[in-house]
Amino acid sequence: MSKTLSQNTAGPINTFLIVQVIISILFIAFLTWRLYTVIDSGAYGPDTWLRFAISGLIIGSVYSVIAIGYTLVYGILFMINFAHGEVMMLGAFAGYFVFEALKSIPVEATGLSFLDSYQIVSVILAFLAGMFISAVVGYFLERIAYRPLRGAPRLIPLISAIGASIFLQNAAQVTFGPKRRTYINPASLQRSVGWRIPVAGEEVILTYTGVLTFVLSILLMVTLYILVMRTRYGRSMRAVAEDKQTAALMGINVDRVISNTFVISGVMGGAAGVMWGIHNGIIYHYVGFIPGLKAFTAAVLGGIGNIPGAMIGGMILGVVESLGPAALGIDFQLKDVIAFSILVLVLIFRPSGIIGEVLSEEKV
Amino acid sequence: MRDQLKASARSGLIFGVVIIFLMLFGLTKTLSDILGELFNLQSITRTGNSGGLMLLFALLAWWAGSRAAKEDKENWKAVLRNGAVSGLVIGSITALFTFLVGSLDGADIEMRTYLAQLDRPSVQFLLYGRSIIAGALMTFFIFLIFNLVGALASYILETRHAGGYLQKKYLQIKDRISGTSIVVRYKEHPQSKWIGYGILLAGTLLMPQFLGKYWNYAMGTVGIYVIMGLGLNIVVGLAGLLDLGYVAFFAIGAYTVGLLTAPAPIPIQWSFWPVLVISILLAAFAGILLGIPVLRMRGDYLAIVTLGFGEIIRVLIRSDMMSPYLGGPQGVRDIGGPSLFGISLSNERAYLYLIILGILLAILLTNFLQKSRVGRAWMAMREDETVAQAMGINTLYYKLMAFATGAAFAGFGGVLFAARNQYTGPADHTLMVSINVLSLLIVGGMGSIPGVMIGAFVLKGLPEVLRELDIYRLLVFGALLVIMMIIRPEGIWPAPRRRMELHESGLEEIPPDESLIGEEG
Repeated sequence: MSKTLSQNTAGPINTFLIVQVIISILFIAFLTWRLYTVIDSGAYGPDTWLRFAISGLIIGSVYSVIAIGYTLVYGILFMINFAHGEVMMLGAFAGYFVFEALKSIPVEATGLSFLDSYQIVSVILAFLAGMFISAVVGYFLERIAYRPLRGAPRLIPLISAIGASIFLQNAAQVTFGPKRRTYINPASLQRSVGWRIPVAGEEVILTYTGVLTFVLSILLMVTLYILVMRTRYGRSMRAVAEDKQTAALMGINVDRVISNTFVISGVMGGAAGVMWGIHNGIIYHYVGFIPGLKAFTAAVLGGIGNIPGAMIGGMILGVVESLGPAALGIDFQLKDVIAFSILVLVLIFRPSGIIGEVLSEEKV
Repeated sequence: MRDQLKASARSGLIFGVVIIFLMLFGLTKTLSDILGELFNLQSITRTGNSGGLMLLFALLAWWAGSRAAKEDKENWKAVLRNGAVSGLVIGSITALFTFLVGSLDGADIEMRTYLAQLDRPSVQFLLYGRSIIAGALMTFFIFLIFNLVGALASYILETRHAGGYLQKKYLQIKDRISGTSIVVRYKEHPQSKWIGYGILLAGTLLMPQFLGKYWNYAMGTVGIYVIMGLGLNIVVGLAGLLDLGYVAFFAIGAYTVGLLTAPAPIPIQWSFWPVLVISILLAAFAGILLGIPVLRMRGDYLAIVTLGFGEIIRVLIRSDMMSPYLGGPQGVRDIGGPSLFGISLSNERAYLYLIILGILLAILLTNFLQKSRVGRAWMAMREDETVAQAMGINTLYYKLMAFATGAAFAGFGGVLFAARNQYTGPADHTLMVSINVLSLLIVGGMGSIPGVMIGAFVLKGLPEVLRELDIYRLLVFGALLVIMMIIRPEGIWPAPRRRMELHESGLEEIPPDESLIGEEG
């Protein structure tokens, strides 16, 4: 892939490469200078840096889980599933409704609600509901909006995906109402509670919700990696990604594999949605959009079509986004700008991502 | 027979689920109100027109029934059976849903906190203002009966060939009209195209005189979108570069005119006309600036990067960091408008004329470019970049040119928009602007100038007419995009070349042979 690209773009003197190198050096020098001035000024102590890093890792792990949804679909259909952020949002809503329902069921024995009496069960139920709803949405999304368009020029499924994204967002707004909702977590998962780590005389709180999110997302990603790389089913998925026609000739039901890919990506999206709800607390109909875009950025950053790439890309994006504004001494409102600038820079200088994309020849 | 029954049950299931979603979205209420008003129906409930609701359900059931009847058109028994199965499925699903909603409501559970559309009056409305059982049963029977009616009706129409009769009649009338001497003479006249354009132009120029303030404003919005659509048409339709950050150039145009003519935040107050030129040039320059790094990417990456760029611009204009220069979340107020020979042109009608003038210029320019060497280079690039390059086309140069031209159009749109509202702020420059412009292009037909206009009227004009459906505008819009892509990807009025392409590429894809497909793994 990268070979063919460089053959296309590189002239005899390779001016583009030289310009790239010069710009990169200037850019890195500028970043180093900013970082130096910020650290030199001592505006942030080590505890603050640690706090940023932790929150970046946690958000990054959510991005990774969403990014895997993009990567799986892109790897197989070469299309950006633009509505994936909305799939995640619906999963977050499903988890929210489960918590609300369990909160309203009283348990005689403890005198508390079900949510607070059986906390582990409640959390598991919420995740299952989120994953299930998102998987269903993912399945029907593919069936209704993408399958009829298979084989059409590439712009067309993308536009259909944009349409589906707008539809789902507004359907959620109309159905659930436009107001923001707060996730009511079980008692021991309060968002401000956690382990306290003393750093340089200050205390950094490592919240339980954050740890839950991080551990769960690692677990999910490892499971998925094993599923794709080690099982028979994963092999059929990779075969379809490589070449649909040949895979069909080898006796693989291509349509079903594609459907299942959307279901799996929905499961990941739903889990990410519930994590987002539990950790960040606020959900509303627009909540999937920006994380979706950033997760796509993460997928591209790691190399699209590549599962470890999505994990690493998500983590890096989360950490950079979290540390970036402080490190560069700019406004925290601009963290989205940092995320999208990374996307633009990666696509310009290394379009195949950090690890490199895993795409079939057909694609290139 | 079992297959038929299964298929009817399945179609009934789909209809039932869709109807439940309509209820959840609250669309049933809006549609019932429209139907009730249309047919002047009586209503029992105060919150919505329950007569309209019954009519709506009956119509939906009719549709479902006629679909179910298509499973077997020969035998009236089979038609009835299929209709009944479909009706039973839809009826039981929807009745169950209304029953559930009614009982939850009866148990004093405030559903509104979770499902915004199911407040108490709406539930009463879904039950026709009756008791839970009666309401659910009514829904059930309406669906069952009208499914049967629809199935039978389609059977009768099919056997009597009523549809065929109507079609024959239509063709006859069409023949008679096109055979009339005046039509023939008009069609054969070499200048007939120009006469048509002349009439259209005269109509457009006279239109603002007959419209009120509100409609002039609404038409102005449509016109601005036509201009932006023409610009994006060059980028996406002709050059084949999917740009989702088009709003960035719109914002640059709007903010340039804002900053240079408004007293705050920068105390420069130039007059409108030079600023117009500056804004357009600046937008085009921004297009080149963004284009240089970005245009080497392949299609969908380009889409995402431009989208990211649009978001960056939006975040920047909102941010506190830039607010001393750009006005922050409050935006820029008191933007100056154009004046000619000392007469201020700051009213809706004058703006509409200005916009029409802009559209004419844009059309002329697009037409000129499209038919020139540049346009052919763009189209060659869109078809196959490698081949175009081999033919000696400097692709980067032409891509930059497309980007810059498109950006200039967007900048022009931004100037008009900001000057007309005398205000611009971050809320005007959301991603929805880009998506709206892209969608109007797609709905109308990519690469075709009349298509862009139709698209703008459909997407920006129709919502003005259907004000009742305001909260469902985006919902319908999203669904419309998907449906459009599935049934008519080339748009309402496609460019002939693009239409051919789309139908060709459909043929190219060879479906995998069914007999070879087994289980996966």
